[in-house]
Amino acid sequence: MAEIGPKFFKEVKQITRADILLRISYQKSMQSVYVGSSDAKIYSVDPLADKPEFHEFQGHTSYVMGLVDTEKHLVSGSYDRSLIWWDKESREIVRRVEDAHDRWIRNIFLSPDGQTVLSVGDDMVCKLWDAKSGEFVRELVSHQKITPNHFPNMLYATAVSPDGNLIATVDRIAKIKIWDFKTGEEVTELEAPKCYTWDSEKRIHSIGGIRSVCFSPDSKSVAVGGIGPIGNIDHLESPGRVEMFNVASGEKTHEFEGDKNVIGLVEQIVFHPSGKWLMAVGGKHTGWVQFLDLEKKEVIRQVDAPMHVHQVAVTDDFGTVYGAGHGKLIVWSLVN
Amino acid sequence: MTLQNSFSRRRFLGQSAFAGTGAAASVMSLDILKSEAFSKQLKQKGKRVLLLWLAGGVSQLETFDPKPGRLTGGPFQAIQTAVPGVEISELMPKMAMRLKHTAIIRSLNTKIGDHGGGSRLMHLGRRDEPNLSYPDMGSVMARELGRLDSKVPDYVTFYTATEGRGNAVGRPGFLGSRYAPMFLTTDNKPQNLGRLESISDLDHRERADLRRALSARFAQGRVSPALGSHNVAYGRVRGLMSSEALFDITREPKSIQDKYGPSLFAQQTLVARRLIEAGTPFVKVSRAWWDSHGQNFETHLEMVTELDHVMSTLLDDLEERGLLEDTLVITLSEFGRTPTINGSLGRDHFARAWSATLSGCGIRGGTVFGSTDEDGQHVKDGEVGAAELFATIYAAVGIDPHHEYYVGSRPVPLVDIGTDAISEVLV
Repeated sequence: MAEIGPKFFKEVKQITRADILLRISYQKSMQSVYVGSSDAKIYSVDPLADKPEFHEFQGHTSYVMGLVDTEKHLVSGSYDRSLIWWDKESREIVRRVEDAHDRWIRNIFLSPDGQTVLSVGDDMVCKLWDAKSGEFVRELVSHQKITPNHFPNMLYATAVSPDGNLIATVDRIAKIKIWDFKTGEEVTELEAPKCYTWDSEKRIHSIGGIRSVCFSPDSKSVAVGGIGPIGNIDHLESPGRVEMFNVASGEKTHEFEGDKNVIGLVEQIVFHPSGKWLMAVGGKHTGWVQFLDLEKKEVIRQVDAPMHVHQVAVTDDFGTVYGAGHGKLIVWSLVN
Repeated sequence: MTLQNSFSRRRFLGQSAFAGTGAAASVMSLDILKSEAFSKQLKQKGKRVLLLWLAGGVSQLETFDPKPGRLTGGPFQAIQTAVPGVEISELMPKMAMRLKHTAIIRSLNTKIGDHGGGSRLMHLGRRDEPNLSYPDMGSVMARELGRLDSKVPDYVTFYTATEGRGNAVGRPGFLGSRYAPMFLTTDNKPQNLGRLESISDLDHRERADLRRALSARFAQGRVSPALGSHNVAYGRVRGLMSSEALFDITREPKSIQDKYGPSLFAQQTLVARRLIEAGTPFVKVSRAWWDSHGQNFETHLEMVTELDHVMSTLLDDLEERGLLEDTLVITLSEFGRTPTINGSLGRDHFARAWSATLSGCGIRGGTVFGSTDEDGQHVKDGEVGAAELFATIYAAVGIDPHHEYYVGSRPVPLVDIGTDAISEVLV
């Protein structure tokens, strides 16, 4: 059996694009991927084909910021505030929820049981939808709409714990809210304030926020990612940052501050199924992939990426990683 | 000076001779905003300019020249405005409803893409010369629109953020320090403007009266321009001291303060409106810092939302007070931002095709002058530079852009020779 692990991480293929690929979802049955683009389209593509063909899904009118592959449909969310359920074969729209949110949809997530799609938007609401029918189920409202400095807040990401019991949502001012999945009640609030920089003196605006969130495989911990405190907020000039919390106690258990090789935002965090390490991806003008040992609390490996990585999709065996980023689609392998 | 001193000020001055002279009122009681006659006079004659200086380079694509559906356009949509056929960024829904007051110039090509050089160009309206120090827009406005005996400052500028501040210092150049700005950085009101508590108002008036009497005695038989300018300067001091109240927004009804909002930019714009209303010919409110090399969309979501609110509130306020037709409101930066989006989802400096707006006095509202290509990379038609923009600004407030100053015997035109105002945006 082939060995799989960070030390074997290597690039297999990259495809250059004119657009920005913001979201990606692995299509198990076809061994291909869906990518969501800044050109408002979704593409289905097998990147490892000799001549990859990008098949279009047209329907959104702004950046595609969420993609999940359900049993029956592909579901997408966009800055155009709509959610779309797509027929995967015909690439036709099955159901569109216009104004699913009052402001930009920043991300969507599929619950582990595949029954619920969650969406988060800058209206600061997390909404739950039936994955099959698209019917609205419930909304989670608690994040502040306005920051303490009187600017609009942003709700960046959501995740569901693998046991299906908890939801996490994360925002611009570095608040993390944990919710009960069944009841929608807020369970607790955590925070990672170093992920939010408010410059009150030089530039009088902010940057940062918690951009990524993921529960550990045992559902007991939640990891968040962003960027550390920034001196010059004109640029993403600070190391990427990952913090991890014990959900029950709220205690911060891990803090990875990054170094000069991982400058920029942590856009996504993916735990290895063993729970012993995780992969963080992101960047600024350029990008990187970082592997963090959760037992030793140290960096295993950091690898430059040829672009700012916005999102990755990982095969079930954790052997292949597909990356969507600025002007590129990339395939990496973790297999020896 | 003790009460026992036989040479008291009162005896020297003679109470009956000078009791009614000097400053017309106590320094604490001048309230120009309540003077109906004064306001009426202003409305008849006085033009004013309020510059919203968007320091750092605001993105034209996220404000007044959106390119939705293009790879360069970014994620924001364009929205229809109250002017048929004209769209602006969805980040400005309030201004979209008020565009009848505003002319958008979309075709600026100013060629200088560094903060210092770009700021200097967009403050002076021309490139600098090594041997001649040109005055900036504010100083020209103070000179041309101000009154010699004005009791309010002629030129006030706010710049609180530290980034880029050095690029935006007002400069009177050859017009002289009389037209230098009151440059407010750490506070919304001038420091050291108030009378010292240790000096009573009566004391202060009598000191002024004494100085005037001594000066008049000295001037007998002497002819000197310096004497004249000294007297004018001292006369202005008491006037300026009495304008301290103008900088205090707590004197505005709470409803007005709430309308503008709590942000620093909003508060300073409200002070600017007070100054304009009192007759200050030029006020610059700087909102720094727009230089979004990274996370351009997040930054503009924050700051354009604020700009939309503050600018629309200001225009409403000026209109309701009957001041908009005499007040020119300008939005301007040192340059725009690249259509190309970089890897940090940012936009970089771009002076080749960008936008400014003019609203109010002398402006044909609801017009759009010039255009850029479908990706915003180049001006397609109506290309103008800083000179044309400044000629237009001066013409809008009734200043002949072809007017010449003289530095020694050298004629110095207000704008570059051969430059005309953009007539399409002028009434």
